[in-house]
Amino acid sequence: MTDKFTQSKLDRCISCGYCLPACPTYQLTGDEQSSPRGRITLMRALQDGKMPFSDALAESSFCLGCRACEPVCPAGVEYGVLLEEWREISWQGKNRPLIVRGLFEAVKSKWRVRAMGVISPTARERKADPNLNLMMGCFERVLFPKVSRTVARIAPEVSITKNQGCCGALHAHNGELERGKEMAKELGEKLSGTILTTAGGCAAHLAAVIGNERVNEFSQWWSAQEKLLKPIEKNGKKIRIGFQDSCHLRNGLGIFKQPREILKSLGDYVEIPDASGCCGAAGSYSLLQRKNSRKVIAKKIEDIKDLNLDYVITVNPGCTRQLATSLRRSRVKTRVLHIAQLIEMAVN
Amino acid sequence: MSSAPNRDNRKLVDRLTALVGAEIVHGDAVALESYSRDATPLFHGLPEVVVTPRSTQEVVEIVKFAASTKTPIIARGAGSNLCAATVPLNGGIVLSMNKMNKILEVDRAQMLAVVQPGVTNQTLDETVAKEGLMFVPDPGSKNVSTIGGNVATSAGGLRGLKYGTTKNYILGLEVVTGTGEVIRTGSRMVKDVAGYDLTRLFVGSEGTLGIFTEITTILNPRPRAAKYGVAYFTDLAAASNAVDQVVRAGILPATMEFLDNPCILAVEEFANLGLDTQAGALLLFGDDGEPDFIDAAVGKMAQIAAEVSGSRGVTLAADTASADALLYARRCSLPALARLGTLSILEDISVPRPIMSDAVKGINEIGKKNQVLIGTFGHAGDGNLHPTIVVDKNDERAVHGAEKALKEIFEMALALGGTITGEHGVGSAKLPYLTARLGEGQMQLQRGIKSVFDPAGILNPGRLGS
Repeated sequence: MTDKFTQSKLDRCISCGYCLPACPTYQLTGDEQSSPRGRITLMRALQDGKMPFSDALAESSFCLGCRACEPVCPAGVEYGVLLEEWREISWQGKNRPLIVRGLFEAVKSKWRVRAMGVISPTARERKADPNLNLMMGCFERVLFPKVSRTVARIAPEVSITKNQGCCGALHAHNGELERGKEMAKELGEKLSGTILTTAGGCAAHLAAVIGNERVNEFSQWWSAQEKLLKPIEKNGKKIRIGFQDSCHLRNGLGIFKQPREILKSLGDYVEIPDASGCCGAAGSYSLLQRKNSRKVIAKKIEDIKDLNLDYVITVNPGCTRQLATSLRRSRVKTRVLHIAQLIEMAVN
Repeated sequence: MSSAPNRDNRKLVDRLTALVGAEIVHGDAVALESYSRDATPLFHGLPEVVVTPRSTQEVVEIVKFAASTKTPIIARGAGSNLCAATVPLNGGIVLSMNKMNKILEVDRAQMLAVVQPGVTNQTLDETVAKEGLMFVPDPGSKNVSTIGGNVATSAGGLRGLKYGTTKNYILGLEVVTGTGEVIRTGSRMVKDVAGYDLTRLFVGSEGTLGIFTEITTILNPRPRAAKYGVAYFTDLAAASNAVDQVVRAGILPATMEFLDNPCILAVEEFANLGLDTQAGALLLFGDDGEPDFIDAAVGKMAQIAAEVSGSRGVTLAADTASADALLYARRCSLPALARLGTLSILEDISVPRPIMSDAVKGINEIGKKNQVLIGTFGHAGDGNLHPTIVVDKNDERAVHGAEKALKEIFEMALALGGTITGEHGVGSAKLPYLTARLGEGQMQLQRGIKSVFDPAGILNPGRLGS
């Protein structure tokens, strides 16, 4: 029998349960099977052939893949990798959600990704520092083209080329692990030097494949530049700012202090309760599991409302979209911006 | 140590569903597999059904049904116990209590809380902290483990020397006994000697005498300040000597935790605190109370630790955050140690504190003799040691060596006048050694006691009192 999961990674878990309080889906249900520990117990049964993969399909889909269980795990279980391996097997053939198939098609080649950007005005191509290249993203091009334009304006040293593909995070998280790794490598070859990305999820995936030293997430990069900014005021008062972590940026790369440092310099920074907790966007999750995605964000929307914030700042396009639509639905006036956009307000 | 494959459970699921509703009855393969383990390695067994009650009344219905059909019931909190007390080795019903998780009352005047069993230690302590109070029991797993689980195992923690353990903090219980009868033991009063102390009997009964549905706990005033430090020694004998001198000096500190060298290395790798990884032993010490008082007490402890022979240095935590980081790192000793192999078996012996260093010396000799790695950490203040054997589970020789080492550790503990479990419980893992600890006479009495509370023998059968 060939192994379905990397056995040594499964063996790391000692079932202590320290991950339970950190897991958003366990918080929703209180059921063991929707906790990281419970899911690893299931993976063990799958690995040993005691249970067919079809039985556990729902749990592999219910997991957000936010990896909040990893930093709290003293045993060092790489849950994110195990989940990718699980979906690699579970989400094949007819079990691959239609939406995922569609998303894969959309980013299949460089020209398709580029074509997505045609309908929305992203940053223009330019040659600047050859060793600092902006990653344009795939869905960020369509959904939030302003972000790359903003980066182009506030970081003139960054080189920009439009002819680049998707980083493959989408694939890795949705059952095409090997393809996801290949795509990251291709992007790593296409763009020289440091790759600067405005998407936390992409940063974590890219870094895992081509190495941390090759990848800089935007807030991480900006905070290292030590550019002094003045606080932004509105009606003579400092703006009130909250922040939503990008799960993979925080849990995968350990980056969460840098964006907060920046925001503290830009206004009256308020920590949203459970800012490190997933907003429910979770890549394709908000499309595949709409109801659960809304349940995950419900408390956060209430909290943001109570805090009376001017802005909630994000470092990942999925979070931007999820927060913006959810706040709109609940008629909360707080605006959602990528951190680069707020920095630009201070620069001007 | 895996139980037989699950029998066809349709009938059982249907009958329970008719009784308490489909919403809380889970009979699918995924649910059964998920509740087939706790945090004890090597033990695995499928239940026939998982039920997640929301009220005492539902528990009563389930217990009555189980008694009439002789179906085992295994009550479970967070499943973080380390003695296989909640692994369903005989099938039956896993009764997961963690949805009964309300804090019903916090009484500031009487300094008590009334809670449902599924509340976690951390949640209760954080809630009462807002009233300036403290829930004292703090097992290493407090962020996940439940109050029901504390009561079932009489859980200890990191401050046993000064504060005692769970058994010192339970005033009263609402319990569903094995016949489905609801009783209320104890009261809301510290003084109450009306009748046998059934409350204390239930504490540590590991789900074999009744199902707890409501718990009344004592709360303490929350200390105004706390201060912690770390001392390093060439070996544990030196650390142990320091502990003795601290106690002799009339100081009763809240916390005196130690790690041996393998534990220091493992914890440092996880937590990156800058610990002295060359040290043979580390002592994490601290106290809580009035600021002036603890300044003096912790200062004195630091001085003693620095002056004993074999001291390698002492540092005091600069602030609460770094003290918390130290305590958290200590709580993570076990999982961090587990990184060193694929199978880690944690033990829980207790010996009289003054001979603790003899016990650790003995443990190390047993490890050498059986060629297995043993890292030991524990509660230096109260003599409770957690030798942890870490091996590769595919290495048959090593696994066999681990089993032999375990047995020898228990025998040594008993020979030293100690016990086979200080705070984790007996469960299935330590049941084979219980007679050696208690003697046949007491075993008989324990069986007799169980049969009074659970005449049908349905409550966690095959464990204590069976």
